[in-house]
Amino acid sequence: MRKVSLLRSGAFRFAILIAAIFAIGTGVLLAQVERSVNRYATEVASDSVAAEIAVLRGEDRAAGRTQLIQSITLREQAVREHQIRYLLLDSQAHRLAGSIPAAEARVGSYDLVLPAIDRGNESDAATVSLMTLGVRLDDGAILVVGSDTSELRDLRQTLGLSTMEFGIGISLLALIGGLVVGTIFLRRLDRVNHAVGRIMQGSLSERLPAIGMSAEFDELSTNLNRMLDRIESLMAGLRQVSTDIAHDLRTPLTRLRQRLEDMKEGLGGSEPVIEEQIETAIAQTDSILAIFRALLRISLLEAGAGKQRFAEVDLSEMLDRVFHAYLPVAEDAHQVLSADIEPAVKVRGDAELLTQAVTNLIENALVHTPTGSHICLSVGRRAGGVALTVADDGPGIPAEERAKVLRRFYRLDVSRHSPGAGLGLAIVSAIAALHEAQISLADNCPGLRVEITFRNLANLV
Amino acid sequence: MKLLLLEDDPDTREHVSKILRAAGHVIDACANGPDAIFLGTTNSYAVLILDRMVPGVDGLSVLKALRSAGNLTPAIFLTAMDNVDDRVEGLETGADDYLVKPFAGSELLARVAALGRRPPIADTATILLVADLEVDLLKRTVTRAGRRIDLQQQEYKLLEYLMRHAGEIVTRTMLLENVWSFHFDPGTNLIESHMSRLRAKVDRGFDRDLIHTVRNAGYRLDAES
Repeated sequence: MRKVSLLRSGAFRFAILIAAIFAIGTGVLLAQVERSVNRYATEVASDSVAAEIAVLRGEDRAAGRTQLIQSITLREQAVREHQIRYLLLDSQAHRLAGSIPAAEARVGSYDLVLPAIDRGNESDAATVSLMTLGVRLDDGAILVVGSDTSELRDLRQTLGLSTMEFGIGISLLALIGGLVVGTIFLRRLDRVNHAVGRIMQGSLSERLPAIGMSAEFDELSTNLNRMLDRIESLMAGLRQVSTDIAHDLRTPLTRLRQRLEDMKEGLGGSEPVIEEQIETAIAQTDSILAIFRALLRISLLEAGAGKQRFAEVDLSEMLDRVFHAYLPVAEDAHQVLSADIEPAVKVRGDAELLTQAVTNLIENALVHTPTGSHICLSVGRRAGGVALTVADDGPGIPAEERAKVLRRFYRLDVSRHSPGAGLGLAIVSAIAALHEAQISLADNCPGLRVEITFRNLANLV
Repeated sequence: MKLLLLEDDPDTREHVSKILRAAGHVIDACANGPDAIFLGTTNSYAVLILDRMVPGVDGLSVLKALRSAGNLTPAIFLTAMDNVDDRVEGLETGADDYLVKPFAGSELLARVAALGRRPPIADTATILLVADLEVDLLKRTVTRAGRRIDLQQQEYKLLEYLMRHAGEIVTRTMLLENVWSFHFDPGTNLIESHMSRLRAKVDRGFDRDLIHTVRNAGYRLDAES
């Protein structure tokens, strides 16, 4: 595994990303706060200006112009928290009162920046920002009132600055936090990567450690481990197949070779090659090919092939069809075949494969039980599932051998000379596994009872 | 019959051609997909015999191309791929039959004969008649020389299949696939057991046998022996 540098590591990128998100978040927050403060302050200022105008206009009407001029002058001199400045021009544009320059005598609202009036007070700013509102009085005179918004400007500056500081602080913290978390995470991933490396180098039984951090990550490593289990068992199956082919096909191939050699000897000799010999050779070849086919079929089944074609299968109908197909066969073999079929028992599966499984079980029962034996097929619903059974009252299989007969090429000593290659039950077992069904071999007292039980609810119809 | 054979392995191509020629067929053999498409579009054949795995354009695509050009010639796939998915895929492409390698020559001949038969018995036929044996498909009754014969369901299906292919050889595998839907070799003599019962009912007690065993091949239902 390549060691990645910190700057190029996922942890660093993760940290940068987190920090960027925090920075953007702070920026958005700042903008939003600024807008709200601004809107609020502007509202307050314009309200106070409008109120001031209303009061002065009232004074003008009630007490006359002189009183208004006096009032304005008094107000200009008053020191308050918020500075308010005035301007009163008569209809000939002569200044009557106030400190706002006459040039700014306009009707409507405006924002102005004026030089500060030095009163020796707290304000050291050279300018003041004013929000002004101008109105025309009844006789054509113009009254302008301006409210100082400098403090608002200061407030916005302070707010902006502290938000920036705060944002940078948060982003830095996020960066550090992200780096720490990322490094821990990366270190754990590194352990997983090392495990993967060891698996790739051939230690197939190695499994990934838990990633930790969260349940999702642990689920990921659990799933990966399950995948590894599956791969390992598939590979074991593959190895098994190659070994089987190597060992178990050698016998029939040797036999075939001997026959061909015998025939060659017979050519031109006293014993002529007869058609029967050739036919036997062809039959032997066919049985070798049949073994090949069965082995391939088993390995395909074990790899899960055919699952995508699963559809509803009426087991009752299928078993009835197979029962009637084998009735005359059993009769000819002087065996008794009976069926106990519960109607309309259905599962999800592959009809053809299930037919083959049942057929194999019946064939086995027919071949391995003596004349006069009774073979019973049944299908029915059980608590929590569906069971398909083929039972006979023949010699049965000793308890310690039952698990082994499901393996490929395994044959009981007593049946070594009966036809077959020992693949029938292995195919049944593979078909059952494909359908997530359990296969069990039990004592039928006497005889053998093979039961395939479908318990997976997803496969029950 | 004039047949098209697509097979890339020279030995198998020779072997199959020889078997078919010996049975009196005329064979155009080719080794790759494009040739097969060319021959298939420029000539008229009774049956197309296509290997699935050939270089260039594979057999499946050859059939797809011919079918999309409106060519409805019956086709049979020869293939070493024998899992169920492959067979289903082949039949969905428009193949009429599917034969897994290796196969007996008699098996191929029987299937090609069944596919190339002209004209096919219409599916709308309601009565099948061979000599004095009559199957009424609507009433599902069987009579021979006017005498009613009672058959079990599977015996009836077996007889119906034989009647539909009267005069032709039907192999054990064809019967397993078409009468019992068994696409695998069950191993025991399932067919023989059913056939002996059918024969006992259809032929026993009558002046001549209609169901004949063809050695090394299968069975044939025919008025002539």
